[in-house]
Amino acid sequence: MNRVSLLAMIAAAGILAACQEELTTPVDCPELCPGNSLIVLDTTIEAVFDRDSTFTGYLRATDIPALLVSNALPAGDARSWATFPRRSDSVTVDGLAHALTLDSAAITFHVLALDKTVTGTQLVVHRIAPLVDTNTTFAEIDAQLTPGSEIGSIAVSDTGNARLVLTGDALQNIAVTEADSFRLGIGLRLNAPSPTGIRLASLNFDSRPPTMTLYGKIVIADTSKVRQTLTAVADSANYVITAPAPPGQEHLFLGGKQGSRAILRFIPPAALKDSAIILRATLELTPAGPQLGLAGDPASLEVRGVLADVGAKSPYLSGVNASAQLLAGVSAVQSVDIRNIVATWFVAGAPPSTLMIGITPEGGSFARPEFFSTRSPSGRPRIRITYALPSQPGHP
Amino acid sequence: MRSRLGSILLVAVAAGPLAAQSSQFGVRGLGLPMRPLSVRSIGTGGGFGLFDSESTFNPASIGLVSFTRASFQTLQSWRRSVSPAGVATAQDNRYPGIFVAGPVGGTPLAISLSSSGYTDRNFSIASRDTLVLRGVPVETTDTLRSLGGVSDVRAGIAWRGSTNLQVGLGIHLLTGSNRISSTRRFSDTSYAGAAEQFTVSYLGMGVSAGVVARLGRAVSLAGLVRADDKLHVERDSSRVGTTKLPVTLAGGVRVQFGDQLLVAGGATYRTWSSADEDIVNQGGIGSVSTTEVNVGLEYLRDPRRPNNLPLRLGFYRARLPFPVIRGQNISETGISIGTSKRFVADRAGFDIALGEVWRKGGAGFSERATLLTFGISVRP
Repeated sequence: MNRVSLLAMIAAAGILAACQEELTTPVDCPELCPGNSLIVLDTTIEAVFDRDSTFTGYLRATDIPALLVSNALPAGDARSWATFPRRSDSVTVDGLAHALTLDSAAITFHVLALDKTVTGTQLVVHRIAPLVDTNTTFAEIDAQLTPGSEIGSIAVSDTGNARLVLTGDALQNIAVTEADSFRLGIGLRLNAPSPTGIRLASLNFDSRPPTMTLYGKIVIADTSKVRQTLTAVADSANYVITAPAPPGQEHLFLGGKQGSRAILRFIPPAALKDSAIILRATLELTPAGPQLGLAGDPASLEVRGVLADVGAKSPYLSGVNASAQLLAGVSAVQSVDIRNIVATWFVAGAPPSTLMIGITPEGGSFARPEFFSTRSPSGRPRIRITYALPSQPGHP
Repeated sequence: MRSRLGSILLVAVAAGPLAAQSSQFGVRGLGLPMRPLSVRSIGTGGGFGLFDSESTFNPASIGLVSFTRASFQTLQSWRRSVSPAGVATAQDNRYPGIFVAGPVGGTPLAISLSSSGYTDRNFSIASRDTLVLRGVPVETTDTLRSLGGVSDVRAGIAWRGSTNLQVGLGIHLLTGSNRISSTRRFSDTSYAGAAEQFTVSYLGMGVSAGVVARLGRAVSLAGLVRADDKLHVERDSSRVGTTKLPVTLAGGVRVQFGDQLLVAGGATYRTWSSADEDIVNQGGIGSVSTTEVNVGLEYLRDPRRPNNLPLRLGFYRARLPFPVIRGQNISETGISIGTSKRFVADRAGFDIALGEVWRKGGAGFSERATLLTFGISVRP
């Protein structure tokens, strides 16, 4: 009986130890390949002629994500401004208001991007009339940025906080008057040895808008509470820019302060709709020239599929998008892998084969890409599709 | 009778597509042909296949069944495959057979219902290639996997004229499917992988007739004729075509030496070449007729208890029907050893067989496999 048990145990152990399948075997085709693997093909489809357009006006003036300041940059000469609300002249300590005697102040900006290859960049802060709004023109702002209105300047060499500290007589430059309703307006321009620009956080960017901090003393018995600060966040901030005029119909234009986007329409070949598996789909856009923008501060080319094609206000497909970096100065064809979007065109109840393209940060970038449209004699928008067709292997 | 019906029902439910050992030589044609043998017969190299009442080869062999019995077997294989592309080791476990048989009370008849593998097409193969995509060479890895095969569900009946003569008839339902999946992956991750899946299903019928005759005290002869009709092949419910199946002719002899030693051998010829044209038309390489020769012995330690750890030895050599390269024959040679044990007044027991198989296909294709077959028999 012991031998029987032993045999049974050996058999059971062998079976249990080896029940996992590991079957894959390397082979040489065609001998052991019963039929071809999936057939891989490549095709290019151009956007439908004259069905592409640029639409502008996706952003309200107050929606800008960044403040642009530049110094004769080809992508646009920009000035920024900010206004601070009426500030208190006292602080409340232990329930009592105490007059604050200023001894210094700081105006802080958050630098989002700059061209680090340009050295000696200075952000010059001017005092301007606080009666400024989004209708104020570049000329009106620029006219106020005179040597006489200069409050001070900040050397900018990296991203992060840029701080202008004022002490002594310089505090007079930020003193408020009743004529200005006790509000303070500042204008920003750039000084640099060569054309360049910087981007600063706007009121819409996280929690780092232009901020003014006042440092002073109060009269109080508790000496640990003598030094006090008052902080004021800008209540409005924006920028004005003189940029190249939008192109004509032969080009598609993206970006700009108001937000320009383009719509592209394609007709996928019927052969692909039937049974193709999309392996790769690449949108190829040909720049109309070297891309305008700020060196070292690439924008992102955003491509979205749409749920329904109703033109400029086509709703986007949720969660289906693609992007690629747009570098300033580049004139090579820009490619974006959009397989996840194109793949949606080949399923039941497929959305329209339409793309909306734009850039990020929209309204807050110097990037002004222009691409040839379908009306251009060459370089039309196109999608290069690599796909696989079933081969039904497994022949006997 | 009730328990017999229950057993038969169990077989009918379990008679799905079963499969046995996988092999690189099961990629082409209908796969690797299976041998409808019990574990006892496997242990003797198939030499007792025509005589063994638990094998589903010869319907006449159930004629002497005196009790309802059921058996189930499982097969574990370890193999090493060599091809011009490289060497692979693999292991897998299959359940190649289930069998129920019993006498029809008050008559000289016995019936059986069984399911065994007809062909096995379980494989997974991988190959590499380089495609030029968008002007750039991109390496691809292709994997083709097939699961399934064709099963042979047999209903058999045998007439026991006497202890010296049994005649049997079997009706075979050939059914099964291959679930085939093909995937292609790219070394450049810019390209998404792709896959396709489909199912190839098979349906066919066959009949077999056999005889077992005992000549004198020591010698028994057996013969079998089996004719299978066309196998209808569908891919995802779309008709692909038909494959003409072979006629099988087999004969064997068993000799008893004293009380303890039995020696049996046989030969089987299958006209697989009749399927050649159909297989070629379906994109295959083709098929050739096959001959198989088996010989084995069983040494009984205790003639009164033949299943008390007998020693079984066997050898066989066969030609496989589906070449990898047209004109290159595939040979299979196997040796085996086995034994068995019954318990509880022979109401339950097991059989075990260990075999070593060598397959050679020419052009650098070869394979060696170790097969462990384990069977359980019960007599309700």
